[in-house]
Amino acid sequence: MSIPENILCSKSHEFLYDNGDNTFTIGLTDYAVEQLGDIVFLELPEEGMDFKKGDTFATVESVKAASEIYMPVSGKIINVNTSAVETPEILNEDSYEKGWLVRIEPTGDIESEQADLLEYEDYKEELE
Amino acid sequence: MTKETFLHDKHTALKARMVDFAGWEMPVQYTSIIEEHNTVRENVGLFDVSHMGEVFVSGKDSVEFLNKIVPQDISKLAYEKAVYCQLTNKNGGLIDDLIIYKLGILEYLVICNASRIDEDVNWIVRNSKGFDVKIDNRSHEYSLLAVQGPKADELMRKLGLTTHQDSFTIKPVEIAGIKVLVSRTGYTGEDGYEILTENKNAEFLWDKILEEGQIFGIKPIGLGARDTLRLEAALHLYGNDLDENTTPVEAGLSWSIPKDKKEYYNGKEVIEQQLKEGGRKKLVGIKMLDKSIARHGYDVYYKGEKTGVITSGAPSPILGANIALAYVNNNDEICTGTIVQVMIREKFHDAEIIKRPFVQKRNRVKF
Repeated sequence: MSIPENILCSKSHEFLYDNGDNTFTIGLTDYAVEQLGDIVFLELPEEGMDFKKGDTFATVESVKAASEIYMPVSGKIINVNTSAVETPEILNEDSYEKGWLVRIEPTGDIESEQADLLEYEDYKEELE
Repeated sequence: MTKETFLHDKHTALKARMVDFAGWEMPVQYTSIIEEHNTVRENVGLFDVSHMGEVFVSGKDSVEFLNKIVPQDISKLAYEKAVYCQLTNKNGGLIDDLIIYKLGILEYLVICNASRIDEDVNWIVRNSKGFDVKIDNRSHEYSLLAVQGPKADELMRKLGLTTHQDSFTIKPVEIAGIKVLVSRTGYTGEDGYEILTENKNAEFLWDKILEEGQIFGIKPIGLGARDTLRLEAALHLYGNDLDENTTPVEAGLSWSIPKDKKEYYNGKEVIEQQLKEGGRKKLVGIKMLDKSIARHGYDVYYKGEKTGVITSGAPSPILGANIALAYVNNNDEICTGTIVQVMIREKFHDAEIIKRPFVQKRNRVKF
């Protein structure tokens, strides 16, 4: 899968992508889905729900276990990827373009909330 | 410090994802759990299960002694045969589940779970007072390889197995020129063999089996698929489905306990009473009716009240549904076809009690 440019990653392996229209896309990094293995179940929030940075907003299940997914920044859910809920295995193919999870409108101070997120190269380096 | 099997370098060379399992660094998957699962159901897979324990029991009182520590009747175990047993405490609770093999006159091999070797050996030694037996834990000397799947028999013949071997038998044979003990047992719900070898031969045998198995579509299989395979076959996992507060009767293992064994064994009063009246709880098979997955520790409800707990749960690649094992109150109303609810992340999800095993063995071999 190709890695979009300018994504930011959290230490708990979510990515945040600035769509440029005051909305952001959130999903799991390629490292996260590789570590999870076969993804078989995905539970996403409903549109309109509000979450604070660090809140659990979704659950992903591999064959082995269930894992919580956390908000990298505060935001209101404006769009969920229903095709990822129906065919969660697309996350293993491509967790960015096809297997993104939600789109949000930020509700907090986006600048300061992004401060602890890492650029992709730095994120990869941290993993090694 | 985590322990490593003698095949550790083979796993890392195959880029397996390694995890800690009962203090051992073991491969959880090489490529994909689902792919590995299907390989064992359709073709044949190779497992490193060297972390399991091998305890040899020999001596004049071996039969009497083994008969004291398991509910099964070891006096009826014939030469080169194997029997599935449980190690029970005085209350009938499960210290471990085991396979006992008769290797010779007054010579037995006990294969036990990796996570329970120390507890088992302590218990076995403590119980041996007054018996003329020798107990020899040789777990560190042996590697154990499992060859499982419908093509396991063909592969074993290619590796040099010349005689027919019934299910639940063990024989000293030569495989790829190496003297080994081969038993027709496994933990997958498929036909298969387990090969017990001295550590020094483990790597050679591993490579040889993968090489000769290529034409059968063999793959190395990790503990992830081992878990989904055993769950489809509704085989218990100690620590998940079995523990010291659960009896063999409650665990649905009454079929393995002779009703006419005269000798005393640990927990006999409780087990005999439960054989007649049932236990406090009972093990059931569960199929989720939506896409959710029941996991170990989730609560099970019936008619709005908590009735039990999930002990193992995972997707079944063969059924295309999510399955689980659970203990529920020993209530006659809760039986095959009953709808119960599993509490998952604070929401109820409907599930149906279904028959075990979830997936039938397609390739039955004679007992």
